[in-house]
Amino acid sequence: MEETLRVLVVDDEEGMREGMRRVLERNSYQVDLAENGEEAIKLLKANSYDLALIDLKMPGIDGFEVTRYINESLGRQTVIVIVSALATVEAAMEVTRQGAFDFLVKPFVPKDLKQVVDRAVRQRRLILEREKYLTELASERNLSRQLINSMHEGVIVLNINREPVLMNPKAESFLSVRYHPLLTLKELSLSEEIQKNIAEILDSESPRDEVKIRWEQMGERMLEVRVNPYLRDGENAGAIVILDDVTRQWQVEQDKIRFISMVAHELKSPIAAIINYINIILTGMFDNQVEKIHEMMERSKIRGEALLDLIRDLLFLNQSDAGKVEKSIERLELKTILRDQLEFFQTQADRSGITLTLETADGEYPVRMDRKDLDRIYMNLISNGIKYNRERGKLTLVMQQDDASVVVKVCDTGIGMSEEEMKGLFEEFYRVKNPHTSGIPGTGLGLATVKRIIGEYNGSIQVDSELGKGSTFTVTVPRA
Amino acid sequence: MKKILIVDDDPDLQEGQKVFLEGQGYEVLTAGGAGEGLEVLKREIPNLILVDLMMEHYDAGFVFCAKVRENPDLADVPIIMQTGARDKLGFTPESYDEKARSWMKADQILTKPVPLEDLLKTIQQYLVG
Repeated sequence: MEETLRVLVVDDEEGMREGMRRVLERNSYQVDLAENGEEAIKLLKANSYDLALIDLKMPGIDGFEVTRYINESLGRQTVIVIVSALATVEAAMEVTRQGAFDFLVKPFVPKDLKQVVDRAVRQRRLILEREKYLTELASERNLSRQLINSMHEGVIVLNINREPVLMNPKAESFLSVRYHPLLTLKELSLSEEIQKNIAEILDSESPRDEVKIRWEQMGERMLEVRVNPYLRDGENAGAIVILDDVTRQWQVEQDKIRFISMVAHELKSPIAAIINYINIILTGMFDNQVEKIHEMMERSKIRGEALLDLIRDLLFLNQSDAGKVEKSIERLELKTILRDQLEFFQTQADRSGITLTLETADGEYPVRMDRKDLDRIYMNLISNGIKYNRERGKLTLVMQQDDASVVVKVCDTGIGMSEEEMKGLFEEFYRVKNPHTSGIPGTGLGLATVKRIIGEYNGSIQVDSELGKGSTFTVTVPRA
Repeated sequence: MKKILIVDDDPDLQEGQKVFLEGQGYEVLTAGGAGEGLEVLKREIPNLILVDLMMEHYDAGFVFCAKVRENPDLADVPIIMQTGARDKLGFTPESYDEKARSWMKADQILTKPVPLEDLLKTIQQYLVG
C-alpha cells in the first residue's frame, strides 16, 4: 500500500490555491495551503512535505526565499515546483540554481499540473529510496563496528600503505596504544617478525588466503598474532591483524615442556648408571673380583627396577590425565584394607627391623572409593614410611573419624624433612636430596600421584615433619 | 698418586666412576651434592674435580664451580662437568668456547653417560705428568 504524499501549495491568489487543491486531492494527495511566504515557512517548520508548489511572486517573503529556506534549512527534503507567471528564462534559471526541481507556467490546465506533479513525485520517491539506503548503510556500518569492538580478540586493520585505519578496544589494551587517525605502524611496537609478516602479506604478488601466525610475548601476556590479507575484488587492500590472548594455553604448553624434560632426565639417570656399571665390568678390570661384579650387577638391577616403576607411574599419570582409567566406586572398609597393606609390607619392614602398627578403634571406617586408588595411596605412603625410616624404627597408622570424614595418619620415625625440603614435596619429580636419601630409589612421582588421587575424591593430604625425628602424612577423605 | 673428587648425587654413577678411576690408579674422593663437595674441599685439595650439573638444584653444578673458583687454593684445579641436561640448556660442544668456559667456570663439559675411555682421556689431558 502506498502512503499518501503530502503537498504544500503556496500562492497569494485564493482561486489559484483552491484550484490546485481540487486537482491534487482528486489525485489522492494530502494538501495544505499557505497564502504567503511567512505562513509557508510556519507550516514547513511544523510538518514534513514531500512536495511544495510555490508561487514565485508574493508580497513579503517571496517564492525565491521559501525555496532557499527549504533547501538550506530542510536539507532538500521537499521537492520544489515553482508556479509562476514570470515565465522568463532568467527566472527559471535562477530558481533552478536555488534548487527547485521543476517549473510550471501560469496559467495552466489541470493536465499540466498533474504532469508536473507526477514528475516531482517520481523524484521524491527516488530521494526517499536513497535516504533509506543511506540509513541502512550507516546502521550496518555501525553494527559491524559494534561487533568488532565487542570482540574478545584484538583487531587492527592496516591499509596498503601500512597505516592503521581501525583498531578495536581489545587491540588498544593488548598493545597499550590509543588509536588516533595519524597512528603509525611503528607506534604499535609490534616485533620485527610481525612487521615482516605484515610486509610479506602486503607485498605479496599473488594475494592468497594465506595467514601468518606467531606467538608473541607482550608483558605478562602471550598473544597469538595472525596476519591475514585484506582482499577487495581479489586485490590486496591491506592487512588484518588479529591478536588473541593465549596465555593459558602457553602456560600449559610450558608445563608440558618442563615435564617432558624432567621425565627425560629421570629416565636417563638410571640408564646412565646401569650402562656405566656394564662398561666397567666390560673393561675386565674386575674379572678377578667376582664379588665386586656382583655388587655392581645388584645395583644395576635395583636401578632397572626403579626405572620400571617410574615408567609404570608415568603411564598411570598419562592414563588418568586422559581420563582413561575407569573407576569402580564401591563402599569399602578402610580398616581391612590398611591391615592387608601392612601385611603385604611386613617382609620389607622386617629387613630393616621396622615395627608396623595399626591404631584403630572398634567399628567401621567406611569410604566410597575405587579399590585400586585406595591401594595406590597407602602403598605409596607405607612404602615411603619404610624407605625413609631409620633402622629399627616404627611406622604407625592411626585411624580417626567423625560423621563427615575418615582420617588416617601415617607416622614414621625416619629422617624427616626441613621446612625447605618440604616445599614442592607433592610436585611431580620432586625428591628430597640430601646424603640420607641419595641411596633410596624413588620415582619422584609417588606423592604427586597420591595427592592427585585424593583430590579426585575431594579429600586432602597434609604433611608434618621434623628433621631427624620423622614425618606424619595425614590423609582425610569423605566418610561413606 | 693423583687425587680426583667426584661430586654426583647419583650414588651409582659416583660409585661406578670411583671404582673405575681407582682401577686406573687414581685416589678418589666422593661427595653426593654440591654442599657436601664444598665440605670435602675444606680439608682436601684434589688434582681434578668431576661434578654433576643437576643436583640439589638444577644449576647446583654451576654454583659449585663458582664457589670453588673463589678459593685461591683451588683456582687452578681443573673442573670437568658431567651432565645429562646439556642439550636442554642449549650447550653444544661447539658452543662451549672460551667465553662460555669463563662464566661457567668449568674447564670441560661432558654429556652423560660419559664413555669410560672418554672420561679417562679427558682426565689424562688435564693430569699430564
